[in-house]
Amino acid sequence: MAAADQATAGGCGAPAGGAAITDAGSQAIVQGRVTSAGAPVQVGYARLLNSGGDFVAEVPLGDDGGFRFFAAPGDWTLRVLAPGGIRTDRTVTAATGEIRELEVTV
Amino acid sequence: MSRSDVLVDADWVEAHRDDPHVVLVEVDEDTSAYDKGHIRGAVKIDWKKDLQDPVRRDFVDRVGFAKLLSERGISNDDTVILYGGNNNWFAAYAYWYFRLYGHENVKLLDGGRKKWELDSRELVTEVPQRSATSYQAQDQDRAIRAFRDEVVAAIGSKNLVDVRSPDEFAGRLLAPAHLPQEQAQRGGHVPTAKNVPWSKAAEDDGTFKSDDALRTLYGEAGVDFGTDTIAYCRIGERSAHTWFVLHELLGQPNVKNYDGSWTEYGSLVGVPIAVGDES
Repeated sequence: MAAADQATAGGCGAPAGGAAITDAGSQAIVQGRVTSAGAPVQVGYARLLNSGGDFVAEVPLGDDGGFRFFAAPGDWTLRVLAPGGIRTDRTVTAATGEIRELEVTV
Repeated sequence: MSRSDVLVDADWVEAHRDDPHVVLVEVDEDTSAYDKGHIRGAVKIDWKKDLQDPVRRDFVDRVGFAKLLSERGISNDDTVILYGGNNNWFAAYAYWYFRLYGHENVKLLDGGRKKWELDSRELVTEVPQRSATSYQAQDQDRAIRAFRDEVVAAIGSKNLVDVRSPDEFAGRLLAPAHLPQEQAQRGGHVPTAKNVPWSKAAEDDGTFKSDDALRTLYGEAGVDFGTDTIAYCRIGERSAHTWFVLHELLGQPNVKNYDGSWTEYGSLVGVPIAVGDES
């Protein structure tokens, strides 16, 4: 099933790497890629925390190390979890109609 | 009910790998995750294709569930170990579903697929062959499933626990943040509902927090442990995780999962809705 189908069919499903963008104009998107020594990190998780530090969502990283969230405008923390006890936080400010791109190296 | 009755760890799974009466079942939010690699011996259940009625908004019926488990080679007396990604979100939903149809021996792998992966344990792509069985499902146990009228009646009289993120609770988001925000229904929450995001019950690695920490979490949010409880989220999966915590880990007697959840409630005509961060 394509990621977009899953996202729009009433599911809560989190396809690896995040759902496809269907209408970027109304979304506040935070996306990016996780790499280690130049190679994509394929086994790992990206999670989004709100400004209070609370978990909001999580996706497994895609084959290209990618992730994508559809947030609300405001400040967020992106946390990457990967084998070997890796845990890296990055802060990001989302805005409606814009895509915030993060390159995370671990 | 204690933790060991409903949870196993990875070492237990490794030790019971060859036990023919233990069946590992992966249930993931990402339904393709299993195909890329799974715990050796595990079979797959697709939460959408296998567990939802293809036409009406409801679950597969008793006969359909029996057919599914028979095809997967699961017997009534097998011990089913469920696991999945994202803090066992969909695995907990499947656990509730197995209980709904009366399966006795079902447990979760604590931490699920995420902890297994983060601990660099083995995943394989080989799909096991299990002989078909003649599984007999029971009628749905309505003591653990709530419908919309019960939710409206519970306003101000029972615990309503909204387990979505604070932004969904307040009405600022209509779906979890990894999905496009394109729902048509109204935003907000059921009046008097307490907001305890489901994920607060889990550690970063997906394992459940201690009983003491969980009691503190729900108690401080205003959940009255002496009163019946209905949990809901958007489509009933995250709230199945909270149902597991309250009913199976903490032993609360009367806890129901409202699987219609916000996508139903937020589209009903004439029911009360509260917006903002307060209950």
